Amino acid sequence: MSTVELARRAVAEARGDALAHVTRERSLMLRFADGRPTQATALEDVSVELAVVRDGHVGRAATNDPDGEALAGCARRAEAAADAAAAASRRGVHPGFGAIGAARDGTGEGHDPSTAELDPSVGGAALSEVFAVAAHHGLSAHGIWSAAEQERGVATAWGHAAVDRTTDAYMKVICIAPGGRSGYDAQTAVAAGALQAGRLAERAAAKAAVPGDPVELPPGEYPVVMEPHATGWLLDLLGDTALNGLAHAEERGALAGRLGQAVAAPTVNLADSPRAASTLPRAFDAEGVPKAPMPLIQDGVACAVVHDRHSAALASTASTGHATAPGGHQHGPRPVNLVLAGGGAADLDELCAPVERGIYVTRLWYANVVRPKETLITAVTRDGTFLIEDGRVTRPLRDLRLTDSVLRILSRTSDLTAGQELTSDGEFYGRRFAYGVLCPGLRASAVRFTGPAG
Amino acid sequence: MRELLSDLMDAAAKRAEYADARFVHTCVERLSTRNGAIDRLDSIEEEGIGVRVRAGGSWGFAATGGTGKADAEAALERALAVAAAQPPASGAPLAPEPPARGHYESPADRDPFAVPLEEKLAVLVAAEAGLRTEPGVVLTLARFEALRVDKLFASTEGALCGQRLTECGGGLTAVAVNGDDSQSRSFPASHGGHVEQAGYEHFISLDLAGAAPRVSEEAAALLRAPACPPGRRTLVLAGEQLGLQVHESLGHAVELDRVLGREASYAGTSFVPPDAIGSLRLGSPHVSVTADAGSPGGLGSFRWDDEGVEGRAVPIVRSGVLAGFLSSRETAAEIGLERSGGCMRAQGHARQPIVRMTNVNLEPGDAGTLDDLIAATDDGLLIDTNRSWSIDNRRLHFQFEGEAAWEIAGGERGRLLRNPSYAGVTPRFWASCDAVCSPSEWGLVSLLDCGKGEPGQVMRVSHGCAPARFRDVEVGVA
Repeated sequence: MSTVELARRAVAEARGDALAHVTRERSLMLRFADGRPTQATALEDVSVELAVVRDGHVGRAATNDPDGEALAGCARRAEAAADAAAAASRRGVHPGFGAIGAARDGTGEGHDPSTAELDPSVGGAALSEVFAVAAHHGLSAHGIWSAAEQERGVATAWGHAAVDRTTDAYMKVICIAPGGRSGYDAQTAVAAGALQAGRLAERAAAKAAVPGDPVELPPGEYPVVMEPHATGWLLDLLGDTALNGLAHAEERGALAGRLGQAVAAPTVNLADSPRAASTLPRAFDAEGVPKAPMPLIQDGVACAVVHDRHSAALASTASTGHATAPGGHQHGPRPVNLVLAGGGAADLDELCAPVERGIYVTRLWYANVVRPKETLITAVTRDGTFLIEDGRVTRPLRDLRLTDSVLRILSRTSDLTAGQELTSDGEFYGRRFAYGVLCPGLRASAVRFTGPAG
Repeated sequence: MRELLSDLMDAAAKRAEYADARFVHTCVERLSTRNGAIDRLDSIEEEGIGVRVRAGGSWGFAATGGTGKADAEAALERALAVAAAQPPASGAPLAPEPPARGHYESPADRDPFAVPLEEKLAVLVAAEAGLRTEPGVVLTLARFEALRVDKLFASTEGALCGQRLTECGGGLTAVAVNGDDSQSRSFPASHGGHVEQAGYEHFISLDLAGAAPRVSEEAAALLRAPACPPGRRTLVLAGEQLGLQVHESLGHAVELDRVLGREASYAGTSFVPPDAIGSLRLGSPHVSVTADAGSPGGLGSFRWDDEGVEGRAVPIVRSGVLAGFLSSRETAAEIGLERSGGCMRAQGHARQPIVRMTNVNLEPGDAGTLDDLIAATDDGLLIDTNRSWSIDNRRLHFQFEGEAAWEIAGGERGRLLRNPSYAGVTPRFWASCDAVCSPSEWGLVSLLDCGKGEPGQVMRVSHGCAPARFRDVEVGVA
């Protein structure tokens, strides 16, 4: 049964205003460590999320059992929750699902039939290729190869319905040298056939194999060149702290009172672009609201935050199609197709050229928000941190802890590479929802580092 | 289901060196009130079967939401196919373990799922009203959650055992804003409050309504409080902040899969070498840590882990010296341990078991009560609730920030400070521990969102601890 048919059946079990969001996941993930396979996971499952609205309150229930009895039970639980909320509290703010407009079916741009076959031998061959490259360089190889097909269906009690079929593929390679130096590269795409396992391994190996003892830098502010993987981490955290419409509506957001003001360098143009080439296209959000391109920061000026129907109601505006759960996620909406426009530098080498002495960052890791209203975050560099001297990468650096404000880094951004990469961490908690940030490499005139790492 | 899994393992035994299967049924209920309105009412029910095989030296795992015979057999086929498709590997033997048999239920006086929704909401509404008393507080939250997991485990070695684990708890948060500054206070802890393996009685025992006015006052007071000045200070850590310190810097560092490099691609490795039991100093003589799968109320408590190993207490640090690891049957055998530490846990049916913390507890010392410890401290800071955390991939260099700190001056608790961050290096930090409070102060804190594994798994763990003191710590770093 298709997900949209399942969504219709779930909604039919509920009384009154209701929406069902159904996700079917088929996925495969192969892990490897030290040049051998370690864990492999194949999943086939479906999630039915049913939201019922009573007097502005949302009651939600979920099941992974598509059986009619289970759907009826799910509907009873969602209704009981919504009824209890309506009885226990003043009117809620959720406007219901009647006016979501016609959710559109996915166009198929984000779906690759070959990837959807989930042939484990394709992944096995990718692992073999990586192992061969690492062995050739005398390095150990660690990482994952993963691919998935996902179908999402949505239906409301008002008769709206839509379906979106997508695929995604991801590979990450970390090569580790006998002395402990490591290098990293990763790739995210709609099609597994686009993943270049050998190239990823060569690039990771090249970083791990850079000779010389790591230099240690004291805490302080340094000019920085970041690869797209590191830039993507920063922008993803910006999505949580500044672009989240719920935090904004509750005055906790970093852009509260700052829309229309310069918050980044004029070279920064950030949008949520669900149909841009090289992203993971998505047709609608978890409330069935169609996705559309949306500028967020233009020429350094903050212009919008994203909303689901709950946060939009609090802000007296309309949903922008960024719900991650029907009725709204407790942490609020988030942009999942962030695109940072490229700049004028031909490549990362050109970004390094004006830097007299600075830090080259391949990736950030274990990033966490310290103070959301300041967009202050902390993270460590990992798997390829180098010293830039006289305009070029010269020596390996010991990893460092970065503690700085994302908006401050974007304010000090002096140039970007013209080319962009789709970056992702391939972290799939719960039901798989692949997303990434399409972004270029970045140079900032000063970034604050607060200590060593690693 | 018992027969289905037994038959499945009979079939698997003919085609794999080893196999196990788990049927898992999970029920979750989460309720919250936010800024005076009912906010979240979620009821989640999931079930399915996960099958893990080892064939040709490689592991394969497949999961299905279906629970019929055909679903289970298809999952077995898929697991075998995935194992076979990978490059050849030579698997280490598994540490021996007698087949687990029987049934276990964790204690719960009052089933939280049987309590009427209206009753639970009334508690939350009353508690949250107590948070909305201070100007400047822009967000108030009160939460309840309950979880029940029923699981059945079978293996090709003859194991067949079932467990029912019930958890319940909740918490409060208030966020105050002034201009570009936002400050939060939580009770009893941030990151979801305090949850125990218990029934509804635990939620009621938290007395959220009683704590609410203080939580709100402190959030507002933090906006006016001075920032924690940079420098080197004595720290007294308590509650959730100390539990998280144990979790991040010691608990993860002794996971044997990390130590052996198996998690380098995601969670990271460890500064602890695999051959360091009995020789590596991880802390001062005041520091003893035990991984105990039997701590009453702990979220890391169970009768059997998710590869059928009986839960037990494993010494991790004794008087500051490494005494053991968190291990699985495979990793234990790899370093020559006689038995697994029983630390394999999986989130639901759709994830395979990986090495996880049980209840990694800091053993109590003899420093008396928290008041006694403060009285014995001339100058320092007290931090009890976490706001931010980060640690490097070897679990060596960390940086934390609490929600609030209280200055300690002349043996007395003094003024409130905002933004109390601190940083350290794991063995040096724990070597600076010169006092741990007595058993009367020892209690569990819960962490509900420990992420690890690919695909990602969120695990719920507890840490027992009593307030402890650390000397010469770098503070005011963020």
